[in-house]
Amino acid sequence: MKRSQHRRVKEQQRRILDEPARRRRQRKALEALEQDNFQDDPHADLKMSKKAPKFEESIEIGNIVSSAKKKKKNRTEYFKYRLKKSFAALIEEEQMLSADPPNYFSASTPPSKLPERHFCAVCCFLNISTFPSSYICVSCGSRYCSVKCLGTHQDTSVKCLRTHQDTRFVSHSLAHYYSVKCL
Amino acid sequence: MVVIILDNGAGTAKVGYSSDKQPRVIPNCVTKAKNVRTRIFIGDQIDECKDLSGLYYLLPFQKGYLVNWEVEKQVWDHMFGKDMLQVDFNEASIIMTEPYFNFRSIQEAMNEILFEEYQFKSVLRTNASYLSQYKKNKDDSQNPLCSLVLDSGYSFSHIVPYFKGKKLAEAIKRVHVGGKLLTNHLKEVISYRQLMVMDETYVINQLKEDVCYVSTQFMKDMEIARMKGPENTVMRDYILPDYTHIKRGYVRPIEETTGKAQGNEQIIRMNNERFAIPELLFHPSDVGIHEMGIAEALMLSVESTSKEMQPHLLGNILLTGGNCILPGFEERFYMDVRSMAPTEFDISMTLPKNPVTYAWEGGVQLANDKDFEKLVVTREQFEEYGHNICLEKFDV
Repeated sequence: MKRSQHRRVKEQQRRILDEPARRRRQRKALEALEQDNFQDDPHADLKMSKKAPKFEESIEIGNIVSSAKKKKKNRTEYFKYRLKKSFAALIEEEQMLSADPPNYFSASTPPSKLPERHFCAVCCFLNISTFPSSYICVSCGSRYCSVKCLGTHQDTSVKCLRTHQDTRFVSHSLAHYYSVKCL
Repeated sequence: MVVIILDNGAGTAKVGYSSDKQPRVIPNCVTKAKNVRTRIFIGDQIDECKDLSGLYYLLPFQKGYLVNWEVEKQVWDHMFGKDMLQVDFNEASIIMTEPYFNFRSIQEAMNEILFEEYQFKSVLRTNASYLSQYKKNKDDSQNPLCSLVLDSGYSFSHIVPYFKGKKLAEAIKRVHVGGKLLTNHLKEVISYRQLMVMDETYVINQLKEDVCYVSTQFMKDMEIARMKGPENTVMRDYILPDYTHIKRGYVRPIEETTGKAQGNEQIIRMNNERFAIPELLFHPSDVGIHEMGIAEALMLSVESTSKEMQPHLLGNILLTGGNCILPGFEERFYMDVRSMAPTEFDISMTLPKNPVTYAWEGGVQLANDKDFEKLVVTREQFEEYGHNICLEKFDV
């Protein structure tokens, strides 16, 4: 009786991601692969003091130099303004122009004809014995290959948190192996 | 005549005079170092930086297209300026490469910057694969009519067929897997399994270049990587740099591979990551990118050309771009294409000695071509006819 109660509680606490949520996650994961940087700009908090002399600028000789410089600077500003287009904006523009087929969109490749291969999300090994289908995490739909890896997955994924104190599947060495150290 | 060739890749720019033997390969970005707060590093200035941990990148390219002109301008100014090429713009012509299906507004901006801002004497804008196939055909005594170029770079990989030096635009195929994605994926995998390295793009990219390879027997290698002890011939220890004693990361020799760190060093154990990461080029679906792999995309591209052309294209495949340097790449690519192509066709692939600078070298040969003058647009012409003449003359 106690046991079934426990199970019921566990089922209720477990949040199961629906299909759109899973797709959203997938898209985010793909976007992360395109990121330039993971960390924030290390110089973001730098404050440039206006009073500090700038040594590279020579003392101006007459007005001609300064006006030429100003003109040049204006041009650069103009370019900055004119050319400020994000990739998304460029794609949109291209769609609007809708040139005839040989274009950016026609060059993309359709999904592969070969069947998808499924890797364990934790240890990355193909589960060869059960290939092509391995197990799926009930909450988020990630693949895993063994109870051991499911344990690690639940320990490390925010959404798939374990609901009870069951760590017996995770051996100590593995837990150590996956512990996140900082460089 | 002075000609500058600039193969302006999203990862590295290859630049030099047509009289140079080798181009300078410089990172096409501006970097900020965590521990150097007094300055930024433009392009190859990063060589002056001693502590390369936690580098922050400002990239001019996004998904393979030039969008961040501010950064690009800084890099170009540095490149053409007194520190490097010392260009006399009034006397110099430039051959500049750009991505396939480059957007109109980027092309116009490029024209304006080259003619009006820098005031080059004349300009030729083209694709990197054009220069590659030009060089291939010049060097080849048989003078083939068709060539098929794989250009696998930083942002993506393209398959580009050429017929008599003209590209067949409708058969160009793009796969959104490039060096950047591989490095980012490797970063994620290592951070999940071993050590938090999400900030260390530079270090992990080096790691990728040092130990990753393309497997020619994927399933078998997976089996080997599962084994423990000396039977596992895939496993390698990679010693991370700390930038005080160890200036650069390196692989420990196989005999000494134990999976354990010695002394104060930090190591990353590279097991199936070594080949599962580059595998994405052949199976993008492994990370959920619903696209074909490069071998399949190549066949798709070939199939969309006319029947007569197909055997000629398959008989002259040229591999360029940084990903082709990965050990085993050529062999695997050949295997995959061979298994998909009709058996009656011969397949021949060429991997240049340096797939990164090959296009640049082609640019040098083109600059010395007797017809080069006919291909360029001069500044006077641009002032007279504007963007239209560039549209007419450049096949991009």
